[in-house]
Amino acid sequence: MSRTILIVDDDRSSRRLIATTLEDVSGYRVREAGDGAEALTAALEARPEIVFLDVELPGVDGIEACRRLRSDPATAEATIIMLTRNGGRRTERFARTAGADVLLTKPFSPLHLLRLVDRIGGRPG
Amino acid sequence: MAARTTVDTEGLQRQLERYAHDLRELFKKERSWATELERSYVATVRALSNAVEARDAYTGKHAERVTAYALTLAAAAGLEVERTPQVEFGFLLHDVGKVGVPDSILFKPGSLTPDEYAVMIQHPCIGVDILGHVEFIGEGLEIVRHHHERWDGRGYPDGLAGEEIPAAARVFAVADALDALTTDRPYRRATDWLSARHEIIAGAGTQFDPTVVDALIALPDRAFRRFAR
Repeated sequence: MSRTILIVDDDRSSRRLIATTLEDVSGYRVREAGDGAEALTAALEARPEIVFLDVELPGVDGIEACRRLRSDPATAEATIIMLTRNGGRRTERFARTAGADVLLTKPFSPLHLLRLVDRIGGRPG
Repeated sequence: MAARTTVDTEGLQRQLERYAHDLRELFKKERSWATELERSYVATVRALSNAVEARDAYTGKHAERVTAYALTLAAAAGLEVERTPQVEFGFLLHDVGKVGVPDSILFKPGSLTPDEYAVMIQHPCIGVDILGHVEFIGEGLEIVRHHHERWDGRGYPDGLAGEEIPAAARVFAVADALDALTTDRPYRRATDWLSARHEIIAGAGTQFDPTVVDALIALPDRAFRRFAR
């Protein structure tokens, strides 16, 4: 795994916002992908430690992408944080079954995001 | 005049990103302050611990060794002693109250008279008085107060028994005895590690928590001696 955070969201603005929030916190590089298929390719390439994955993606949706990340030994170890507009027990169950570590409902707290990454990645130096 | 309905989404996005950027930078700054603060706590505690040690040439590095022993024992005993900085502070500063005990008593080679003993056993409470207002010591204060309690309830200052004694203090009591026995003291020479073990085992269930003594039995000497130098 590399010290990379992969951010997957079809909405460019949301992606940019997360990226700006997390850029080089705890020494992570940030990479972005706009849909599930792109996410899988990027994940195989970058082997990210942390993946932010939107549930509602066109094509290969977030839940399916999560399942595939978990089933490939190359990406299975990543911490997967799923994001959704429709938080509910159903989505929660799907995300858990697919192997997500955390499910966050939009709008999420950026400070929570920072603390989460800090906890996963430890402090630099 | 017509109301302005077009929203400059591009501009809003840039503004939002600016917020995110500033939040991130503040977060990083706060985090590094927190780290720095923690470091200065540790440095302060070590300085205080060194001050106590400097007075007592015999026990040199006693607090540091006992801390290492106690953490080793706690892990092996499976007791709920969290390895927090506060617990470590308590281990390091357990004897800080000895600054309130006169040299004539603290360094007396022979046994203490009842009056001297009465002064000596005040040191845990003196320690609590010294550290009572230092908030970052947290639960470490319990170790300072209770490190001379005995499993059978005949210790001091509160005569707590068994599991009434905080787990960290029970672990500490064994660690303290181990170091006391294996280093030279004003009143006697160091014993070898095997004899020290026997002496502690003899105190299981009376002076010491048997669970902690079991942990000591299960651990090889080298688990401790690597800290002993």
